[in-house]
Amino acid sequence: MQWTSFVQKAQSFIDPANFTLPTLTSSDRNPSKASLFRQQFRLPDSQNPLQEITAELILPLPHISPSGDGPRNLDHAGNRYAGRLHLSERFLCFSTQATSFAPSSSLPASTHWAGQTNGTGPSGNGFTIPLCCIRRVERLNSLGHVFSLALTTWNGALGKQQPPGFTPQRFTIQLAGSRQACERFCDGLKKGLREGMKEIENLRIIVNDCYSEYLLSGAKGKASEGDASEVRQPPDAGLGMIFRYPGDARKLRDRSKMRLWGEYFRENGRNATLIRQPTFHKLIRVGLPNRLRGEVWEVTSGSLYLRLRSPKLYTDTLSKFSGQESLAIDEIEKDLNRSLPEYAGFQSEEGIGRLRRVLTAYSWINAEIGYCQAMNIVVAALLIYMSEAQAFFLLSVLCDRLLPGYYSTTMYGTLLDQKVFESLVEKTMPVLWEHLTKSDVQLSVVSLPWFLSLYINSMPLVFAFRVLDVFFLEGPKVLFQVGLAILRINGEELLDIQDDGSFISVLKSYFSRLDESAHPRSENPKLRAITRFQELMVVAFKEFSQITHQTIIEQREKHKDAVLENIESFAKRTSIRNLGPDSKKLSMDDLGAIYDRYYEVLYDNQQRQKLMEEERRRQEKKRVERTSILGPPVDREVGRVGLGPSPTHMDYDAFREFLAVTAKWAVSDSPRKDSSSEQGSNSFRGWGKAASWNNKNQPTDHEFMQRLYRKWATDPEEGISLQNVVNGLARLKGPRDIMNNIQYFFDLYDDEGNGTVDREGILRMSEALLFLSRRGFEGTITPTQSVDDLRAIDRARYEDKLSTDERFLGSVSSFIRRCFEYADPSNPGSKAAAEAQQDADEAADKLGSFSIGDDEEEDLIDVDSDTKSDHSAVMEKPSQLDPGEKHDPEQNRTISESANPALDPNNPLHITLPTFRMVILADELLEQFFDSYFPQSFHLSDHGSYAATATSLSSNLTTFSNINAPKPLSSTMSAPSVGGASGGIVPPGRGLRGVLDNIVSDGIRMAAEVKKRMDEAQRELERNALGRGEEEDEEDEEEYDGRSGPTSAPTIVGGISSWGAGAYGADPDRRSVRDADRDLLEGAEVVSMRGKDEASLLDDKDGHPANAPAEAAAPVPDNVVSKVEFES
Amino acid sequence: MSESTGANTAKPSSSVKLVLLGEAAVGKSSLVLRFVNNDFQENKEPTIGAAFLTQKCSLPTRTIKFEIWDTAGQERFASLAPMYYRNAQAALVVYDVTKPSSLTKAKHWVAELQRQASPGIVIALVGNKLDLTNDANEAAGEAQPEEGHEPSPADGDEATEETQEEPDASNGDARKVPTREASAYAEEEGLLFFETSAKTGVNVVDVFTAIANAIPESSLKSGRGAGAGTGQTSLSGGRPAEDSRVNLGERGPATAKEGCAC
Repeated sequence: MQWTSFVQKAQSFIDPANFTLPTLTSSDRNPSKASLFRQQFRLPDSQNPLQEITAELILPLPHISPSGDGPRNLDHAGNRYAGRLHLSERFLCFSTQATSFAPSSSLPASTHWAGQTNGTGPSGNGFTIPLCCIRRVERLNSLGHVFSLALTTWNGALGKQQPPGFTPQRFTIQLAGSRQACERFCDGLKKGLREGMKEIENLRIIVNDCYSEYLLSGAKGKASEGDASEVRQPPDAGLGMIFRYPGDARKLRDRSKMRLWGEYFRENGRNATLIRQPTFHKLIRVGLPNRLRGEVWEVTSGSLYLRLRSPKLYTDTLSKFSGQESLAIDEIEKDLNRSLPEYAGFQSEEGIGRLRRVLTAYSWINAEIGYCQAMNIVVAALLIYMSEAQAFFLLSVLCDRLLPGYYSTTMYGTLLDQKVFESLVEKTMPVLWEHLTKSDVQLSVVSLPWFLSLYINSMPLVFAFRVLDVFFLEGPKVLFQVGLAILRINGEELLDIQDDGSFISVLKSYFSRLDESAHPRSENPKLRAITRFQELMVVAFKEFSQITHQTIIEQREKHKDAVLENIESFAKRTSIRNLGPDSKKLSMDDLGAIYDRYYEVLYDNQQRQKLMEEERRRQEKKRVERTSILGPPVDREVGRVGLGPSPTHMDYDAFREFLAVTAKWAVSDSPRKDSSSEQGSNSFRGWGKAASWNNKNQPTDHEFMQRLYRKWATDPEEGISLQNVVNGLARLKGPRDIMNNIQYFFDLYDDEGNGTVDREGILRMSEALLFLSRRGFEGTITPTQSVDDLRAIDRARYEDKLSTDERFLGSVSSFIRRCFEYADPSNPGSKAAAEAQQDADEAADKLGSFSIGDDEEEDLIDVDSDTKSDHSAVMEKPSQLDPGEKHDPEQNRTISESANPALDPNNPLHITLPTFRMVILADELLEQFFDSYFPQSFHLSDHGSYAATATSLSSNLTTFSNINAPKPLSSTMSAPSVGGASGGIVPPGRGLRGVLDNIVSDGIRMAAEVKKRMDEAQRELERNALGRGEEEDEEDEEEYDGRSGPTSAPTIVGGISSWGAGAYGADPDRRSVRDADRDLLEGAEVVSMRGKDEASLLDDKDGHPANAPAEAAAPVPDNVVSKVEFES
Repeated sequence: MSESTGANTAKPSSSVKLVLLGEAAVGKSSLVLRFVNNDFQENKEPTIGAAFLTQKCSLPTRTIKFEIWDTAGQERFASLAPMYYRNAQAALVVYDVTKPSSLTKAKHWVAELQRQASPGIVIALVGNKLDLTNDANEAAGEAQPEEGHEPSPADGDEATEETQEEPDASNGDARKVPTREASAYAEEEGLLFFETSAKTGVNVVDVFTAIANAIPESSLKSGRGAGAGTGQTSLSGGRPAEDSRVNLGERGPATAKEGCAC
């Protein structure tokens, strides 16, 4: 849009140095110019300073001057104020500024009027006028080069008929600056005015709700035609109209205040078109009249401008969420009956209903805050003086701007301001401070409610409202000034107190006597007439006038980090403690690490999304418009737990990032591979956090991660919570337990939750195995190196990482093959299925080897290779693989033919957990993969949890007994094995078969099928063995005797039991022998897999000259692999 | 509320800072109100930050002046809690016997106190709203001898349920946290344990008396009674735990009778 570009251009012209986008870098902790601008003029967050120029405001002398002090009506006479004129998208603002007196305004009046409150925003003189309120702008012909504009507003002219003799509000502004600058400003203004015209209807609506309109028109009506006033009902000015306003109206001199305000409004405009002159500030200091209080609060706080922007938001919100429930609503409901219960209005359904609606609507519009106790009290107080909609918008201003962070979920604002208050006390009243410290009285426990509920439940209501009057005009510093004054006035007595109790009672009694004379024994009646409250106000605003908004901002900055750190350590403590029983499996360090990492990723992600959102919006040229006018301020700082409402759930993308900093395999191979969420990150490279993020490891994406995500998340739609992550990791990283890990992995692929994984699942599992291992085994954690020093021998032997990786490929290959081999047909009993099974076995064989061959081409082992290539490399689409190189065409045909039935959906097959377990344990590498690598690939705290895992040996036992647990049917049959396992003893005579039988005897028919397959496998094995020579037979026999000798296949299950007894690490020799055998075998396997890579074969032989390849082919399934390959 | 006995003046007096913690609406403020004013209000203003009250508790050998910090229960106020339990010598961690989640929350508070509060803090775990359970009557019987407790309206309601002895599985029983579960936890953690009703007054005073008894004399900062009770420093350490065990054992009429005359 032209407009925005114009705006931006204009802005860069004016003050390029000040042109800052609301970025979220740490330097942004200093409020941006835009936010200061909004603060100063109480503008909505949608507004930005577009133009500013030095100017002089010339106000005409009052037309109607009852006191008769305005007869010297000279043409250009009137009050003149020098200051700055600002233009935002929808507002024209003027404020006197101490630093920018125009040379032309040499009139003493200028300095005089600027007064003490000079330059402090709405507490200064000037105006904040929505552009829609400006009816006409005229360029005046003036002498010399003075560029002056006469503005006419809609003030009082929006009604159906204007009373006779109506004079529109009109004032003059003289711009001071180069002609060019003035022209530019006027251009901006012109455009703004055109835009502003759209809002005139809104203006009509909100102005109608203002009591001032009624006051002025009604008063006039009464004077001229009596019937006109009767037509108009007074607008809602709060519960006070029904239930009386607190305090004695006469004593408060409500009528005369009303008259003074009526006069002020007539002269200076009302509500949206009000111009602030010094009288305005004085009128506020003496206390607002009841019926105008709500409206003036609205104007001074700026909530009027929010209401102007969307007058129907309140009612719309209520109807939109009508009937819905939330935690906040429950909390609100609990407190409704206990909010200002002493006020009659809140003993009635009417009052309670209003309170309920306002709090509820706000909890919907700002779900981050929701509802905080104390809001009920504040809103109840507001509702005495204003309508529901007015209170709703004012509450929003309170939460977002005036009391930042007070009601957030961590209440950091409250704590921060207490720190600030304490430090101010220390600074201004060192003696008292020292006394309090010495007596161990914690000031903040006393002062906290003052701030949190704006003195409303500390002081009698009438006085609390007087504080509020000033607070809405001058901002948060008022709370501090009043607090300090309270302590100063009671200083003497407070120096006598010894403990919290007496401290509190001194102040309590002071508050209860606020209406008494401050100097009861004074001779001077005037002095005697001064109440303690008046004294308080004087002390607060005179004696502590040095406490400015700037002071508060500086102090907040100073203490912010300490306060946030306190809150965060508390939150972390609590959060970790609340993670439930599962978290106990992890060490405190690990939990701490997970916690930190989780939130780091979460916030990083949040900030990035925010940046991207802004970027997007900027690109769409929509920066000017905010989607919602309420809610957290745009320049709100985010990214810390202590700042309160934090996202509690990660989406999948964030989860990937979490994994990427936790496990190597989750790091993307090609750093610049953009997924959808990463797009656009280039465009703001170098922007604060985004830059640092770019340097980090980019997460990859893999189906396995998606499965992990779905498995961990309670509700994947909602995202994944810290609890989910901890529970997920606790299961893997808890006491080392291979059985558990295997089951966990299996469950990941058990899509239907029925204990089976189908063909597709098996392939995906193997894919995942390759995915997880594609970065090698992290150098240090090779499959043969674990906590066991004893295995170091093996590691030494297999320093060559490549060979480990390659061997793992082989393992995965045989994994697939075995899976298909032992899989059960999903439509059992059918012979065809069994045959298909055979085919499938074969197919898997070839498939496996095939894929490996292919992998080699693709250099799968290369750590830097792309994930995607892994992906395609694995056997998902075998027909696409280029068969040419290593297989003659005929063989290729057979492969694809046999592959087809394996993948034939008409012959569905599946594996069960026991089968899967068996297959895993049949392979040393896979076994080690699940035993150590898989859980250890998740890196948590720096000092690994080796200590924790050391205890794991025995835990294998316990979980082993769980293997059967999910299948109660099996209880009778499996009982002996369970018992045996728990005891760590498997009857030696049973060996592999025995244990297998135990598994098989799970009682499930499927398992019986496995047994059958095992038998078949054995037969096949025997057949194979015929061509193999005697040694091998012997070895087989040995194994099937179930002797605990150097077995590899028996580790399937038998091994477990012996580990349980501690045999695993206890017999290094045996272990190493066994490993040696197996290594050799695997060496052979890899060799064969790689397709007659003679050199490698030779290497292997050289490595183990004692063992001939054939000799080593002991374990049943491996044997088969070898066979197939050798045959081919 | 009965006046302190005459002997009181002669006894050493010391003040004890006590903090109440627990989930929202479990009745923390009501417990305090019952203890301090022997009163009960259905609609109490929610506590903003914390409310401060004091009450004396007269023991046979000394007088304890409780400075009670009653904290707000809403979850987000939790981050203010460290401000209040700072230097506290005693803590009342309250849960609602009809709401299991509140016991969980209570456990968190106990853990927090044990780790973060002053060492040697005496912690009492209190299950409130006993009046909503079936054993209310039975328990109420225990506390009735307590002087100064007028029978509250709730007693009448409970009369119909007189025959039911066991809390479990009977109609109209809102109890969700079995006594055994909470007391076992309390014992494990070395906490005093009570079930109370702020509404009927059952066991309320007993809690405070038990706490008063459990405070090691050495840790008492002497109030106006100056210097008293400071001589037995050597006894500290073992004392609190010992006391708590005793109190756990003889919870009921015995404690109630020697209860403080506040």
